[in-house]
Amino acid sequence: MESILSGLRAAVFIVIALLLCGVIFEIAGYSAPLMFESILDGAFLRRGALEQALRWALPLFITALGVVISFRAGYFNIGGQGQFYMGAIAAAFVAEWLKGSPAALVIPACFVAGMAGGALWALWPGILRIKSGADEVITTLMGNFIAAFVLVYVTAGPLKDPSGSGQQASSRPLDAAYRISNSLGLSPTIIIIAVLAGVLVWALLNRTSFGILAGLSGRNPTMVEWQGARVWRIGLASFLISGALAGLAGTIELMGPNGRLAGGFLPGHGFTAILIALVANLSVLGTAVAALFFGGLASAALFLPILAGLPSAAIDIINAAISLFITAKSGFIDRVARLGKGQWTKS
Amino acid sequence: MESDHETLLKCRELTVRFGEVTALQDVDVSLEANRIHAVVGQNGAGKTTFARVVAGLVRPDKGEVRMNGSAIAPGNVAASRHSGIELVHQSFALPPSFTVAEAMQFGADGGGLYSRSALERRWQSHLDKLDIQVKAGQRIRDLPIESQQAVEIARALVSDAKLLILDEPTAVLSPEGAARLFDQVRHLRDRGVTVVLILHKIREVLAVAETVTVLRGGLCVAGPLETAQIDSERLSELIIGSSSDELDDEDRAALTGAATPAHLHAAQTSEGIPVLELKNVSTRRDSDGPGLDSIELSIRPGEIVGIAGVEGNGQRTLVRTIAGLSHVSEGTVGLNGSDVTQQSLADRRSAGLRIIPFERNVEGLSLNSPLWENWSALGLLRKPLFAMISPGGFRRDCIGALESWDVVYADINQRAGSLSGGNAQKLILSREIDEAAKLVIAAQPTRGLDIGATAFVWDALRAARARGCGILFVSSDLDEIFDISDRVAVMVSGHIQAVFEPPFEIGRVGAAMTGAVQ
Repeated sequence: MESILSGLRAAVFIVIALLLCGVIFEIAGYSAPLMFESILDGAFLRRGALEQALRWALPLFITALGVVISFRAGYFNIGGQGQFYMGAIAAAFVAEWLKGSPAALVIPACFVAGMAGGALWALWPGILRIKSGADEVITTLMGNFIAAFVLVYVTAGPLKDPSGSGQQASSRPLDAAYRISNSLGLSPTIIIIAVLAGVLVWALLNRTSFGILAGLSGRNPTMVEWQGARVWRIGLASFLISGALAGLAGTIELMGPNGRLAGGFLPGHGFTAILIALVANLSVLGTAVAALFFGGLASAALFLPILAGLPSAAIDIINAAISLFITAKSGFIDRVARLGKGQWTKS
Repeated sequence: MESDHETLLKCRELTVRFGEVTALQDVDVSLEANRIHAVVGQNGAGKTTFARVVAGLVRPDKGEVRMNGSAIAPGNVAASRHSGIELVHQSFALPPSFTVAEAMQFGADGGGLYSRSALERRWQSHLDKLDIQVKAGQRIRDLPIESQQAVEIARALVSDAKLLILDEPTAVLSPEGAARLFDQVRHLRDRGVTVVLILHKIREVLAVAETVTVLRGGLCVAGPLETAQIDSERLSELIIGSSSDELDDEDRAALTGAATPAHLHAAQTSEGIPVLELKNVSTRRDSDGPGLDSIELSIRPGEIVGIAGVEGNGQRTLVRTIAGLSHVSEGTVGLNGSDVTQQSLADRRSAGLRIIPFERNVEGLSLNSPLWENWSALGLLRKPLFAMISPGGFRRDCIGALESWDVVYADINQRAGSLSGGNAQKLILSREIDEAAKLVIAAQPTRGLDIGATAFVWDALRAARARGCGILFVSSDLDEIFDISDRVAVMVSGHIQAVFEPPFEIGRVGAAMTGAVQ
C-alpha cells in the first residue's frame, strides 16, 4: 500500500515536470502537444521504439539497482558513472588479453572483470568513508572525473584503435564472437542478465540478513551498532555490490551495443540511474518501471528532431526537470505532512 | 491566610491537544503572588505542557492565561515575558563556549557593542545581587551543572520577572544540590518573585512548596492545596490515582518520592561466578564526560546493582565500556568469568550481554524501520551476513514476543517511531530480555515513561533477576534505585565513590553523590 502510494506520488511529480517542460517549450515557440506526442511515439509506440527503450532501460536498470542498495544502506554512492566506466575498461582489457580464446571463456571472464572493476572503483570511497569518515558524496563524485580521464587515456593509449580517424578516440573493436548483442543493443542474453540481476537484488534486500540489516543501518547505524553489528562490514559490502552492478552495466554496454570503448561514452548514465532509483523510492520493482520510462525518454531523444523539430537535448531538459522535482519532493512532502500535526513535547 | 495574598496567575480551562493525545484538559489553576507553588504529576501528566502554555511556548486549543487580572495573548512568548513570566527549561540551552556574562547578555538583549570588562562588571553585580556564587568571566562548559542552572535562573531574572517557572529543576541535581536550590528559591520569594516549581517528588514538594497542584493524565485533580494541610500519603494517592491499585506500597513510594523506600527484599544472591566483573577499568575522557577511573565492580547472578549519581559522571562511558564500544586504556572487563576486554560487542552479546540503552530512540530503535525489523536485528546478526532468511518467520516470532510483552501496536510493519514511549521500551525489553540473557544493562529504562510502563519495566527486571540474570541498573532517580536494587554504587567523575548495602539511607547516598568521602 505504502509503495503504491509513493509510486503514485512520483508519477504525479513526473507529470508536473513534463507539464512544466511543455509550457517552457510552448513559450519557446515549439508545439507542446506535438512534443508529447512524439515523445510517446518515439519512446514506445513507433515500430522498434519499444526495443530501443529496452536497450537503454536494461543497463540503466542494473546501475540503478546498485544505487538502490547503497542508498538503502545509508551511503550516497553517486559514483555510478565512474564505476560504470571502470567496469567497461576492465572488461575491455580482459577481452584484449584473452583475444583468440573461445568466447565461452572470454565472455564470462569479461563479466567477472567488469564487475570487479566497478566494485574496486567503489571500494576506495567506501574505505575512506568507513575508516576516516570522508564524505562519500565527494569521493565518489571525484571518482567519476578520474574514471572519465582514465577512459580517455585508455582509448587514446593502450587500447587505441590505430585505424580510427574520428575526432573521438576509441578502442579496438571487440571480435564479433565476443559480442552479446548487435549494435541495436537488445538480445536475450542482456534481458536474462537484467532479469537475473533484478531478482537477485530483490532477494538480497528482502530475503537475507544483509538486506534487512542494511535497511536498519541506513536509517539508524547507531542502533545497529548497539545490537552488536560491525556496521563497517555492512557498509563496505553495500559499496562493493553497488559498484559491481554499475560495472556489470558497463560491461553490457561494451560487449553489447557499443562493441568498443569510446572516450566519454554515455556521460549521463550514472546520473540517470540515480534519478531512476530516487523516482522508484529505492524499491526494486519501482526501479524496473522507472528504468523503462527513462529508457523510453532516451529512445525518444532520437526521434524528437525528426518528429517535433526539437533538439534531442530537449530530453536532457526534461530529465533535469524531473530530477529537480523528485529531489525536491521528499523535503516538500515532509513539510506538508508535518503541517497541522503540531509538535509533540514531553510533559 | 488566603486573603494575605493576591492572585497573580489565573488559568482558565486550558486545553491542549497534540494530535490525538490530550495533554491538558480544562485545567483551572489560580496561583497567589509571593509564594512558592509546586505542580506535580507523573510523566505524561501534562506538567511541562502546562509550564509551556503559561510561558507562551505552546498555544492552547482552548482557555486563557491571566496575569494580575489581564489576559495574555496565547502562544506568544514575548507577551508572556512582557507580563513578567519566565521559564527555566528542563534541559539548559546555554552555549557552552560562552562566558557567563556573554550568555547572560545574549539572553538579555543581544546586540550592541560592549567591552569584555564592562560586560562582566554588569553581570557580576546581577549575580551578586542574587547571591549566586559564579564568576561572570567563567566559561559555561567549565561550570558544574548546579551553577549552570543558577546562571539559567539568573538569566531568567534579568528582566523584571514576577513569576518564575522552573521545569523539573531537581532532575539534574544531587539531593544536597536540590536543598541549595530550594534555599535560593526561598530567597527569591522573599524578594517578591512568585515561583512555580514543576516537580515529581513528594519529598521535594513538602520540603519547599507552600501550595501544591496535582496534574494527572492532563487533568487538574487537585487545585492549589496548602502543603501544610496535606500529608504525603494523600498526595501520593492524588498523583497515582486509583488506576494502579496493584502497585505495592514500596513501588508507590518510589514512584512519587513520598518516602525513602524501606528495602525489604533480602539479598538472595547466589555465590556463583560474577556475570560482570570490572577490574581496575579506566578509559580516557571523551565527549560523554569524564573517563572511567579505576572502576571495580562485580555483579553476581540474580542481583540488581544500581548505579546512582548525578548525570554526566561517567555512567554513559561505563555502559559503553561494558558494551565494548569504548576503548579500555587499563584494566579488564569480565563476563561470566571470562575476560572479554578485547572482544567485540557481538561476542559479548553471544556471551549473554543484553543492553537497554540510554537513548531509546537512537541507540535502541530505528524509528523509521518496521517493528519486526527492529525486533529481529539481534536474531539476524547471529546469522552469517549473506544467509538467506525467512522474514515471515521473524514476523511470526516478533508477533508472539510482542504479544507476551503486552506491546500495543496496530501492524507489525508499522514504524517503530509510531509507538508510544512505553510500548517502544517494551519492544526493546522483548528483544533484550530473552532466554539467553545473563547480564542485562538497564540504562535509565524508565525515563519519560508513565506509571504503568514504569512499573512494567521494574517487574520485567525483577523477573529477569528471579531467573538468575545479573542486572546493572543505571538511573538518576534515587527512589527508583533504592526500590529495585540489591546494592547501590555511586558514581562521581568516572569513579565509584561508594557502594551501599540495604537499608539505603538517602542522606548518606546523597552525600556520596556530591563527592563527599564517606
